[in-house]
Amino acid sequence: MSQRTERRGIHVDQSDLLCKKGCGYYGNAAWQGLCSKCWREEYQRVRQKQIQDDWALAEKLQREEEAAYASSHGAQAQSHSQTAVPQLHPGHASLGAFSKFEEKKTNEKTRKVTTVKKFFSPSSRTPPKKDTQEGRTPSPSISRHASFETDQVSKEFVEFLKNLQKPGREIHKQCRAFIMNMSSKKELSADELSECVQDFYQNMADRLMSHFKGSSESVERVMDQVEKYIMTRLYKSVFCPESTDDERKDLATQKRIRALHWVTIQMLCVSMDEEIPEVSEDVVKAITDIIEMDSKRVPRDKLGCITRCSKHIFSAIRITRNEPASADDFLPALIYIVLKANPPRLQSNIQYITRFCNPSRLMTGEDGYYFTNLCCAVAFIEKLDAQSLNLSPEEFQRYMSGQASPRLHSSEGDWPQSGVTAANPVLAQLNHNLERLSLVSSRQQMLMEAAQSMQADLLSWPEGVQREVSGVLEKYPLQILPRTVSAMDANNADSDGPPPLLTAQVFAG
Amino acid sequence: MAAAGGTGTKTYSFKVVLLGEGCVGKTSLVLRYCENKFNDKHITTLQASFLTKKLNITGKRVNLAIWDTAGQERFHALGPIYYRDSNGAILVYDITDEDSFQKVKNWVKELRKMLGNEICLCIVGNKIDLDKDRHVSVEEAESYAESVGAKHYHTSAKLNKGIEELFLDLCKRMMETAQAEERLKGNGASQSASSRRGVQIVDDEPQATPAGGCCSSG
Ligand SMILES: Nc1nc2c(ncn2[C@@H]2O[C@H](COP(=O)(O)OP(=O)(O)O)[C@@H](O)[C@H]2O)c(=O)[nH]1
Ligand SMILES: [Mg+2]
Ligand SMILES: [Zn+2]
Repeated sequence: MSQRTERRGIHVDQSDLLCKKGCGYYGNAAWQGLCSKCWREEYQRVRQKQIQDDWALAEKLQREEEAAYASSHGAQAQSHSQTAVPQLHPGHASLGAFSKFEEKKTNEKTRKVTTVKKFFSPSSRTPPKKDTQEGRTPSPSISRHASFETDQVSKEFVEFLKNLQKPGREIHKQCRAFIMNMSSKKELSADELSECVQDFYQNMADRLMSHFKGSSESVERVMDQVEKYIMTRLYKSVFCPESTDDERKDLATQKRIRALHWVTIQMLCVSMDEEIPEVSEDVVKAITDIIEMDSKRVPRDKLGCITRCSKHIFSAIRITRNEPASADDFLPALIYIVLKANPPRLQSNIQYITRFCNPSRLMTGEDGYYFTNLCCAVAFIEKLDAQSLNLSPEEFQRYMSGQASPRLHSSEGDWPQSGVTAANPVLAQLNHNLERLSLVSSRQQMLMEAAQSMQADLLSWPEGVQREVSGVLEKYPLQILPRTVSAMDANNADSDGPPPLLTAQVFAG
Repeated sequence: MAAAGGTGTKTYSFKVVLLGEGCVGKTSLVLRYCENKFNDKHITTLQASFLTKKLNITGKRVNLAIWDTAGQERFHALGPIYYRDSNGAILVYDITDEDSFQKVKNWVKELRKMLGNEICLCIVGNKIDLDKDRHVSVEEAESYAESVGAKHYHTSAKLNKGIEELFLDLCKRMMETAQAEERLKGNGASQSASSRRGVQIVDDEPQATPAGGCCSSG
């Protein structure tokens, strides 16, 4: 059998995926077939103006925002005007609980790196590129839409803080100052950026904790909003920053997943039966959710996508096995979904969440559990070998090189399992399709025959009717009997018998 | 994550991982603890991989998050991703299965190496209702636990034996650990800095030492 026909799925030529400029990196449809570097170069000039416009807009909005805030808090702002003079430096905040903000920051200058980050970014500690011209240019993907979204988030944030009264103003000020501060630190490495944001979260949470007298629910509620506001604004500059090799890792993972296209649901021992319509629906939804993660800007929203994906997986397992899914069921299923989805910029997204998510969500919460499983899935995919799929090294090698494809056992397609197990899924599908085609063709023939006989019947029917009618006419020619009008009238008036015409007919029949 | 500080009532949030070979009864133990059900087809929860329980221990609120882990051998290498930042680990074996006890020993070694003494270890011999088929002696298991600074428990998810005690005891120990840590770090402000991201924190040289920082955490 020809090796060429054994490839499953849509065949994409490697060259179609490469950057149109021929630099050797992968291109992306969203960047008009260029890689991110070439795209940046290509559009830098054009975008420069728009970036300036955006900044102008952002500043304008900022002024409006603060004006809006001030007017909505006229009373409080006044009562504070003696102490809280407009400040340029965040360190001189006036509200008691927040006053040690900057001081605390300096106390924590010693770098502390969590094991989390160590695990996922061993190489992100490389010092930032110093040669980057005029610092980090905002990603070209910024658009009017993004600006609009940012504006919306800012407005919502202000609205939310209004409910908090006094501290709301202070929180707003701290966040503003922090964002300004961050935009001036273009030369920081990804880890340092992460440290800054995490320090900010920590300090903010501490202040809020004493303000809310230890009610962690209230703190979390505010922290979610703080994260949303800050990260919406910082996203452009801190997602997949140039100082890291996130992009390279993304491409490597994407390529790896593509190379593993032959892995079947059976090899992973996944307890999801895709032949059940509800299950296959859940699988599709799970894939959609995990792909959607890349489109979100707030870490928590990205986490939300992972959580929704996981819930669909649980539902699929529950339907298949009729019992709640344990980790033994969940992890393989998630791996399968990731392999099927090949989510865009998977590594960048994981790094971004690890670096910039509010830690309390990530560490103990349910979202954190699913995120951890996603990290496990990615780690598994990276390291996956013959043993992890219960294959012999030779088999694994043949599948990886595309020389052979695993046999299809079941449930990989939407047709019922037939007795014949073809050597590979394409042939199986071909056989199956041929079978179906011949079935359809014979049924079509029957249909044609039936139609033709019906047509013949239809054609002969009027003839038959005509023949009968003329036969009858011949047998019983119409006779018009002579009669007088006056006699009929007289009969009608006086007798009980039938009228003469009917009488005549009766005689005639 | 150990303690959410503040002046009012503290809420402790603890992460506990379940480790052990497949089929020793990890899932059964949590479902018994959180849903009070065993081998029940009518369990309402969609999943049994992440379950939570709220407790009140001597006036302190505790949020317990129980993380199930994939027990298949091929996922063994992923252990560190699961158990990082855990306050406690429940290592389950089946008393009728000698091998599963050996697996627990391996986990203990690995956990101690990776997380040190900050993690509270529980070694759990499950299925004591099958005592007639016991293949791991009580003395051996208990003396081993003691030798590695772990506590040993006997449970039966089937008969609901020893499970409440196991989790309650573990929570108390995790609270003690957290409180000791708080005292060590002093009170208030500086405490939060260390419990930041509630994780095991590795001190690094500022930025002087470049790259290569991917070495294991001592
Ligand atoms: N007799 C007995 N069987 C148990 C007990 N706990 C679990 N099992 C059974 O052991 C098998 C595996 O349990 P499970 O919770 O899925 O183990 P896991 O793979 O470690 O999560 C199931 O058939 C359970 O019914 C127990 O305490 N006693
Ligand atoms: Mg289980
Ligand atoms: Zn290019």
